Amino acid sequence: MSLFRGFRAILYKEFLVLFRDRFTLFLMFFPPVLEMVAFGYALDTDVRRMRTALLDADRTVESRLIVDRLVNTDTFRVVETVAGEAELTAAVRQGRVYVGVEIPPGFARDLAAGRTAHVQVLVDGSNSSVASSALNTVVAVALRESMARLAEAAGVRELPFEVRPQMLFNPSMRSPNFFIPGVIGVVLQISTTFATAMSLVRERERGTLEQLFVSPLRRWGLLLGKLVPYYVVSSLMALALFTLMSGLFGVAIAGSLWALALATGLYLFALLALGLLLSTRAQTQMQALQFSMVFVMPSVFFSGFIFPRDTMPPVFRAIGACLPTTYFIELTRGIVLRGATLADFAPHLAVLAAMGAGLFLLCVLRFRLKVA
Amino acid sequence: MAADPSDPDVMIRCTGLTRRFRHFTAVDGVTLSVRRGAIFGFLGPNGSGKSTVIRMLCGLLEPSGGTASVGGLDVVRETERMKPLIGYMSQKFSLYDELTVHENLQFYGRLYGLNGARLRTRYDELVAMTHLAPYLRRRAELLSGGWRQRLAMACALVHQPKVLFLDEPTAGIDPVARRELWDLLFDFASHGMTLFVTTHYMDEAERCSQVGYIHQSKLIACGEPDALKRLPEVNPPGTHRLELECEHVTAGLRTLREVPGVRAATVFGRSMRLLVDTSVSEDVLRGKLADAGIQGVDIRPVGPSLEDVFVALTDRMGEGGT
Repeated sequence: MSLFRGFRAILYKEFLVLFRDRFTLFLMFFPPVLEMVAFGYALDTDVRRMRTALLDADRTVESRLIVDRLVNTDTFRVVETVAGEAELTAAVRQGRVYVGVEIPPGFARDLAAGRTAHVQVLVDGSNSSVASSALNTVVAVALRESMARLAEAAGVRELPFEVRPQMLFNPSMRSPNFFIPGVIGVVLQISTTFATAMSLVRERERGTLEQLFVSPLRRWGLLLGKLVPYYVVSSLMALALFTLMSGLFGVAIAGSLWALALATGLYLFALLALGLLLSTRAQTQMQALQFSMVFVMPSVFFSGFIFPRDTMPPVFRAIGACLPTTYFIELTRGIVLRGATLADFAPHLAVLAAMGAGLFLLCVLRFRLKVA
Repeated sequence: MAADPSDPDVMIRCTGLTRRFRHFTAVDGVTLSVRRGAIFGFLGPNGSGKSTVIRMLCGLLEPSGGTASVGGLDVVRETERMKPLIGYMSQKFSLYDELTVHENLQFYGRLYGLNGARLRTRYDELVAMTHLAPYLRRRAELLSGGWRQRLAMACALVHQPKVLFLDEPTAGIDPVARRELWDLLFDFASHGMTLFVTTHYMDEAERCSQVGYIHQSKLIACGEPDALKRLPEVNPPGTHRLELECEHVTAGLRTLREVPGVRAATVFGRSMRLLVDTSVSEDVLRGKLADAGIQGVDIRPVGPSLEDVFVALTDRMGEGGT
């Protein structure tokens, strides 16, 4: 075992330091949990109960009926009733409401006379996803009401077409189900990469690394001894985050826990190896922090965590393909939400394993038991 | 100084050892050898290259030129075999602050492959030697300078090295700890350990069996203190050194510096040391002082101190136009 000489000594020391240094442990565990809760709630893009202002100039049974139909979709919530058009526009402009619904005078009369009855809807387009959701809902309500009236007039009982959609996964279409696995991937990356990068750089700064280099320890022993304790801690962290996911956010794990554990294990190894690699370059803790941030931003934007990768320009898609987080997010979404098996995602697992092994090997080869 | 390269009694040997950092030459052609059991005192101002030499000898830094060996093993080609032979105590007493004294010792013991009964025995020996027993459960960060130094020393000795490198081991510690450390070093040397110590203190240098003085990256003096004191550069022909005691030493110093033939005069407490031409008699000095109203003059001949040696050699190097 002379290749790994010093491994057990480093392991002994790292575990002691890690559990002695409560502050670093706190910094490793607390922010991820907080970030997970924050992201989990903040990234709920389900559009429900949008603040809506109503201008009902008709004041008839029919006008009230159409308002009820809109509110019943659960998309709109009337928080304000206004008297004039200028007031309605102002409510949207000032951001008090997202949507303004105006029913002009003569709405019921036009309806009764068989003319087209108009409903004016003002939508705040500055938030595009909210706007399109509002738009889809009002158009659907108008179509359904029109169809019902036409069918009644024609004496038709049943409509010629009907689509019966069936949601296979995430049947309630809750967005946390989609986002939480991604949050776990990103949050794990932030704390683990950073923690390993710091642990080696701190020794460099303090001069203890020099002391290690004088001893007969080998680089495999040093780097593996550094990696294993953080592997244990970050595995515990992953366990905590997945528990939080199913406990707090109610995201059930559809696939096998073993598959999830394997995917997470490979991912963590790649992250820790990346952290060690960064620490071979960084001379100070500040640099280590900056280096690890360089990898965080792309992992948030190009990994498919928030924005789907399919619609990205090729450059960004290529960047995403280089990040372990991309593969981990696809894997966890598959396993957690769709109950995918390991065989379904064999290529992803292979890529993660290769990244981890490659990064660690690179790290060992680059590492010199010398001072700069 | 040019020792036989195959002499098994030479534990440290550098030949033309050089280290450049980009355009700066930190160590320039250092050649020296240190015998087994010697205490080699390595002196020089800050930034003169002392630590760089130590780092190269410990295999931490690759030389840019020249060769070096420790215990007969080349520091570049045979680093792995050399490492078990050496102990290194860095300037900062590199310890793990969050670990206790006990844990630091345990760690360094394991790092050098000790375990079980061997680790226990060695641990007990080191604790007894450094008197660390009352502090075993204390975290290293809570130790005072002197105790930190003892712990760092114990850690550096855990594997019973043949050669121990100490980089300014007495910087910033109290005089009692300093004296105790030197007592330990003499004890180690008497058991055959070779010590390579950097220091700023001249009194420590006087205690070494060999000294080297590095100035602006170059080794300008190297040898036994007594041999260095006999160098002709230190004792210019036709001069001698005197120690002079009198009233009002500083006033006396001002007076004597004006006297032709007095080459150098420096105050040490209540006396002064002079380098004067032999043509200037003691009576001339007494006369000049009496003229200035200074009485109670006592003059003795003295030999040069190591400080005199280093000052003389540094001056000569400056005159040489480097």
